[in-house]
Amino acid sequence: MSLLNTVESAEPKKIAVYVCHCGGNISDIIDVKKVAQTLSQYPQVSIATEYAFMCSSNGQDMVINDITNQGVNRVVIAACSPALHETTFRNALKRAGLNIYLYEHVNIREQASWVHKQDKDGATHKAIALIKAGVEKIIRQDALDEIKIIANQRVAIVGGGIAGMRAALSCARAGLKVSLFEKRSTLGGNLNRESLIYPTNQTAQSVVDQLGSEVKNNPNIDLLLNAKIVSVNGFAGSFQINFIDLDSKEQTIGSGVIILATGFDHYKPYEGEYAYKTSPFIVTLPDFTKILDQSAQPKALLYEGKTIKNIAFIHCVGSRQMDGVDTPLEGKNLNEYCSRVCCTSAIFTINNLKIKYPNTGIFDIYSDMRTYGLEHESLYEKASKNDVLFIRRPLEERPQIEQRPDGTFNVTSTDVLSWNEQIEANVDMVVLVTGMVPSDISDLVDNMKLPRSTDGFLQEVHLKLRPVELANKGIYIAGTSQGPMDVIETLNAANTAGVKAVSLLSLPEILMDPFIAVVDDDKCTGCGLCISECSYDGALTMTDKIVNGKTKKVAQVNGALCVGCGACVAVCQPRAIQVAGWTLDQFEAMVDAIAKE
Amino acid sequence: MKSDLDKQTDVLIVGSGIAGLQSALDIADSGLNVTIIERSPSIGGKMISLSKVFPTLDCASCITTPKMAAVANHPRIKTMTYTEVNTIRKTADGFDVDVTQKPRFINEDECISCKKCEQACPVYVDDNFEYGLGVKKAISIPFTNAVPQLPVLEENHCIRCGACARVCPKDCIDYLQEPIPQTIKAKAVVAATGFEIASMGIKPEYQGETLTNVISSLQAERLLAPHGPYGKVLRPSDGKIPDSIAYVQCASSRDQSIGIPYCSRVCCMYAIKQAMLLAGALPLGEITIYYMDIRAFGKGYEQFYAQARSMGINFVKAKVAKISEDVDRNPIVRIDRQEEGSIPQDITHDLVVLSQGILPSRKDFFGLDITLNEFGFVQSNSPTYSPAKTNINGLFVAGVIKGPKDIPDTIMEAGSAAIDAINYIRENL
Ligand SMILES: Cc1cc2nc3c(=O)[nH]c(=O)nc-3n(C[C@H](O)[C@H](O)[C@H](O)COP(=O)(O)OP(=O)(O)OC[C@H]3O[C@@H](n4cnc5c(N)ncnc54)[C@H](O)[C@@H]3O)c2cc1C
Ligand SMILES: Cc1cc2nc3c(=O)[nH]c(=O)nc-3n(C[C@H](O)[C@H](O)[C@H](O)COP(=O)(O)OP(=O)(O)OC[C@H]3O[C@@H](n4cnc5c(N)ncnc54)[C@H](O)[C@@H]3O)c2cc1C
Ligand code: SF4
Ligand code: SF4
Ligand code: SF4
Ligand code: SF4
Ligand code: SF4
Repeated sequence: MSLLNTVESAEPKKIAVYVCHCGGNISDIIDVKKVAQTLSQYPQVSIATEYAFMCSSNGQDMVINDITNQGVNRVVIAACSPALHETTFRNALKRAGLNIYLYEHVNIREQASWVHKQDKDGATHKAIALIKAGVEKIIRQDALDEIKIIANQRVAIVGGGIAGMRAALSCARAGLKVSLFEKRSTLGGNLNRESLIYPTNQTAQSVVDQLGSEVKNNPNIDLLLNAKIVSVNGFAGSFQINFIDLDSKEQTIGSGVIILATGFDHYKPYEGEYAYKTSPFIVTLPDFTKILDQSAQPKALLYEGKTIKNIAFIHCVGSRQMDGVDTPLEGKNLNEYCSRVCCTSAIFTINNLKIKYPNTGIFDIYSDMRTYGLEHESLYEKASKNDVLFIRRPLEERPQIEQRPDGTFNVTSTDVLSWNEQIEANVDMVVLVTGMVPSDISDLVDNMKLPRSTDGFLQEVHLKLRPVELANKGIYIAGTSQGPMDVIETLNAANTAGVKAVSLLSLPEILMDPFIAVVDDDKCTGCGLCISECSYDGALTMTDKIVNGKTKKVAQVNGALCVGCGACVAVCQPRAIQVAGWTLDQFEAMVDAIAKE
Repeated sequence: MKSDLDKQTDVLIVGSGIAGLQSALDIADSGLNVTIIERSPSIGGKMISLSKVFPTLDCASCITTPKMAAVANHPRIKTMTYTEVNTIRKTADGFDVDVTQKPRFINEDECISCKKCEQACPVYVDDNFEYGLGVKKAISIPFTNAVPQLPVLEENHCIRCGACARVCPKDCIDYLQEPIPQTIKAKAVVAATGFEIASMGIKPEYQGETLTNVISSLQAERLLAPHGPYGKVLRPSDGKIPDSIAYVQCASSRDQSIGIPYCSRVCCMYAIKQAMLLAGALPLGEITIYYMDIRAFGKGYEQFYAQARSMGINFVKAKVAKISEDVDRNPIVRIDRQEEGSIPQDITHDLVVLSQGILPSRKDFFGLDITLNEFGFVQSNSPTYSPAKTNINGLFVAGVIKGPKDIPDTIMEAGSAAIDAINYIRENL
C-alpha cells in the first residue's frame, strides 16, 4: 500500500455505486432509479444500483457480496451525511477485506434531497453530478493505511461535579488512571449544598459525599483541586493538558482521552427582569432554597426581618425565552431551551416549604408543568393537595410584578385555567424559577476548538448515534455541560462518557484517518513556502535527505501533528506536497465531473 | 449454540431494543463477550418500528439498522432471537439463565432468505409488526430490515398445506421442529425488556377498541413509516385520506382512575413529531393536539415544539372527556376547553390518535426477587450513585424497563448499565 496514489495500481478498477432511498428521505425527491441507471452507463462503473436502506444489514450485505463475489474494489455510496454512517460502511468494507479508504461517501440527502424539495428534477440532476464526482475521486484513490497512535492509558476529566466524579470512578474502576481537574477548592459543583433534592429526598451534600469519598480513596484517581487549565494540545491517544496547580505552578499531564464535565451555572436575571434586584424580596429559586434551609423561625418564614405569608413562584425565568417577548441578557442570545429540572425543583421546594410552614400561601405561575419523571408527577399532585394555587399563563404572556408602598408585590397574570381571567396575587416575596446556563468555559472552547450548540451547551455529534462524543476525536462530554439534566440523568450521561473512554482505550493503539500531508521528495525543491504557511507547530519541518543519491533539503511532515488542512498544498508550486485521500488530481477530476453535468 | 463454550458468556442481555443493543455494543467494544436474548424474531425492539424520531427527525431505520448490523457482525456478540427467558438464577459465580428457543419451523442454517415460502403461502394473518394495521403470510420474514432475515412459521395459523415446503429451494421447512431449552451461564446480566403501550380499551370513554378510526400512537408511527402498511397516510375504515386529525394527549397517563398516575414522558414529543410528519405528508390537513401540558424538556425539544407551532399545528389546551363516532365513522371528540368557558364542545375529526401511556413489558421478573416500584418498573437501588444498579448484585437495567423515557435518555442508560457490568465483572469475578 502506498500512502498516496502516486503509483498507478496494476489491478483493474471495478467500481460499484449504491444509491440509497433513505426510506423516502432521498427517494421521495430524487429519482433514484434514474440516478442508478445514469451511473451504470458511466465509464468505469461496473455496478450501479439503488436500495431502501443501504445502512441496514441487507444493504451492507449487498456491498460485501459485490466485493467478494463480483470483484468490486472501489465503492461509492450515495446516501445521507457521512457523519452518520461513514463508520458503518467502513466496517462493512473491513468485513469484506477491502481497504476502508477505497470507499467514497456522497451525501445526496443533506446536499440534495433535503435542500431541493421543491425541485425534484434539479435534485436528481445534482445527485447525479455529485455521484459522478465521487466516482472520479475514488478512481484516483489507492489503499491507505490508518495512522496508529499509542494511547496514553490516562483519562483527563475537567470538572469535579457529580458528572466528573462519576466518570472518574467508572474509568478508575476499569483500570485506567484518571486526573480529575476541579477549578474550585471543593468537589461537588452545584450540588455542594445542604438542601434536599428530588426524587430521593436526600441532601445534595450526601450525593456529593458518597461519590467524593470514593474519589478521594481511589488510588487510580489523581485529584487536582484549584486547578486552572491553561491550554490543551495533542490528539486522541496523546493529549497534553497544561494547567496551573494549587501552588500556582505550571504543569503538564498527558492523557489519552479527555472528558468535559464542566457543568452549568444558575441563570442570573438582569436588574429589572421580573423586578430582580429592585427589592431583596425578589429572589431566584436557588437563593430561596438556601433561605428556606437557613430559616429557623417556627411558624412562618422570616426573611430580612419580614414574615413571609404569601409567595409567588414564576416559572421559566431565563428559559423558554421568545423572540419579541423576552429580552436576553446583554450580549447573549435568547435562551430558547427548557431547563428541564426547574419545574420539578420548584414544586419540590414548594412541598418542602409547606412541610415547614404549612400556612404559607403560594401562587405558582407557569405555562406548562414539566414534571415528567416517574416520581415527579406525584410531587405535582401533592402540591395541588397542599393548596398551592396554580396559575397557568398563556405561552407568550409574562406575569407583571408591581411593588406596593407597603413593600408587598402585586403579581398579575392571565390564567388559562380559569378561562383567561386576570388574576392578581398580593405576595410578600417572589421566587424566580431560574434555569440553567452553560458554565463559562469560553477559554477552553476557544483553545480546544469545541463545538457548541445554539443554546451554548457543548454539542454532541449526534443525540442518538454518538450522544457523548464531540466532533474532536477522543473528547467526550458528561453531564450538564451538554444540556440541562437532573442528578440521575447526569450520572447516566457520565457513566456513558466513562464507557466510551474505556472502549477507546481498551486497545493499546488508536487508529486515525491518514488524511495528512505527504511530500514527494523528487518534486520538492526545498523552497520552504509550505512551512511558513502551516499553522500547526512542528507539523512541517525542513530536513536534509538523500534523494536519488544526492543530499537535498526537503519538507518533512510529522504525521501526529499535521491535521490535513491543506494550507501547505496551496502554496507549493511543483505540487510536491499533497494531502493523502484528497489530492489535487482528485479535486480537479471531481470539479471536471461536476462542470460537465 | 452447539458447543458448551457457547453456553457461557460474560454478560447476558435480555431484550434487544435500543437499550439492549447499545449496552451490548458498549460492553463488547471494551473486550467482553455478550449474549443477547430477544423474544421477537428480530432484534431492534420498538425503535425499529418507528417512523422518524424526534428531535432530529432522522428516519428510525437509519439510526437503528446500523446498530442492529453492528451487533449482528460484532465478533464478541452473539444474538439469540425468538428465544424466551424463563428463569434467571443467581449463583455463586454469576447467573444461570434458562431460555427456550422457539421453533421457527425452518432450518436456520440452510435458509437463504429468498422469501419463496412467504410468496407461496395462501394464509394471511394480522401483521403484529404493523400493530394490526396490515397483514402478512403465515410464514414470513418479520419485516424488511429484520435481523436475522429468517422467516417464522406461525403455528396457530398454518393450515399445513405444504405450499411453502414445496417451493423452498433449500428444503428448509420443518413442521416438526421443537422448542430448544437451554441454560446459559453469565457473569453479569443487563435487563432491557422495555415497554408496552397501554391497551386501547383501558379508558372506556375513548372507545379505542371499538372505533375503527381511533388508532394508537404506535399504529400512527406505522402509518407514517417509509414501508408502512398502506404506503401512505390513510384512515383504516375506508382508506380515505384524512383531512382532520386529532391527538389526544395523556390518553392513558397521569390518570389515577386507570392506575397510571405517572407521566409517560415521550408522548408529547412523539405527538408533535407525528403532527409535523403529517403536515408534510398531507399539506392540506388540519392537525390538532389536545393537551394538558406540553412536556418538551430535552435538548432541542422546546425549539422543536416552537417549530411545530409555526407550521400551523393547532395546540388546544383541553381535556378530552369522551370519543364517539358519527354515521360515516368520523370520530367525535368531546372536549372541555379550559380556554373558552366551561361548555363542553363536540368536534368531529377524520382520524384520532390516542397517545397511549407506557407500561413495563413485564411485572414478574424471571423468578428473581428484584425490587420494582409501585408502577412495576425496576427500581434502582442507588439512583444517586450509579443508577443502573439494582438490589440484585450483578444485574443491571437500562431503558424503559426503569421507567418511560425517550431514545437519547435510553442510550445514556445503556452506557451506564454497560460500564457497571464491565466493572462488576472486573472487580468480582
Ligand atoms: C435550581 C436547581 C435545582 C435542582 N434541583 C435538583 C434536584 O432536586 N434533584 C436533581 O436530581 N437535580 C437537581 N438539579 C440538577 C443538578 O443540580 C444537576 O443535575 C447536577 O448538579 C449536574 O452536575 P454536573 O456535574 O453536570 O455539573 P456541576 O454541578 O455544575 O459541576 C461542574 C463542576 O465543574 C467545575 N468546572 C467548571 N469549569 C471548569 C474548568 N474550566 N476547569 C475545572 N473545573 C471546572 C465546576 O467548578 C463544578 O464543580 C437542580 C438544578 C437546578 C438549577
Ligand atoms: C409511539 C411512540 C413513538 C416514539 N417516538 C420516539 C421518538 O421519535 N424519539 C424518541 O427518542 N423516542 C421515541 N419513543 C420512545 C422510544 O420508543 C423508547 O425510548 C425506546 O424504544 C426504548 O427502548 P428499550 O430498548 O428500552 O425498549 P424496547 O424497544 O421495548 O425493547 C425491549 C426489547 O426487549 C424484548 N423483550 C421484552 N421482554 C423480553 C423477554 N422476556 N425476553 C426476551 N426479550 C424480551 C422486546 O421484544 C424488545 O425487543 C416513542 C415511543 C412510542 C410509544
Ligand atoms: S422545567 Fe419548567 S420552569 Fe424550567 S424551563 Fe422548563 S417549563 Fe420552564
Ligand atoms: S496539511 Fe496543514 S497541518 Fe499539515 S503540514 Fe500542511 S499546512 Fe501543516
Ligand atoms: S404450510 Fe403453512 S406456512 Fe406453509 S404455505 Fe401452507 S399455510 Fe403457509
Ligand atoms: S423458501 Fe426456504 S430458503 Fe427461502 S426464505 Fe423460505 S425457508 Fe428460507
Ligand atoms: S408526555 Fe405529555 S402526553 Fe405523555 S403523559 Fe406526559 S404530559 Fe401526557
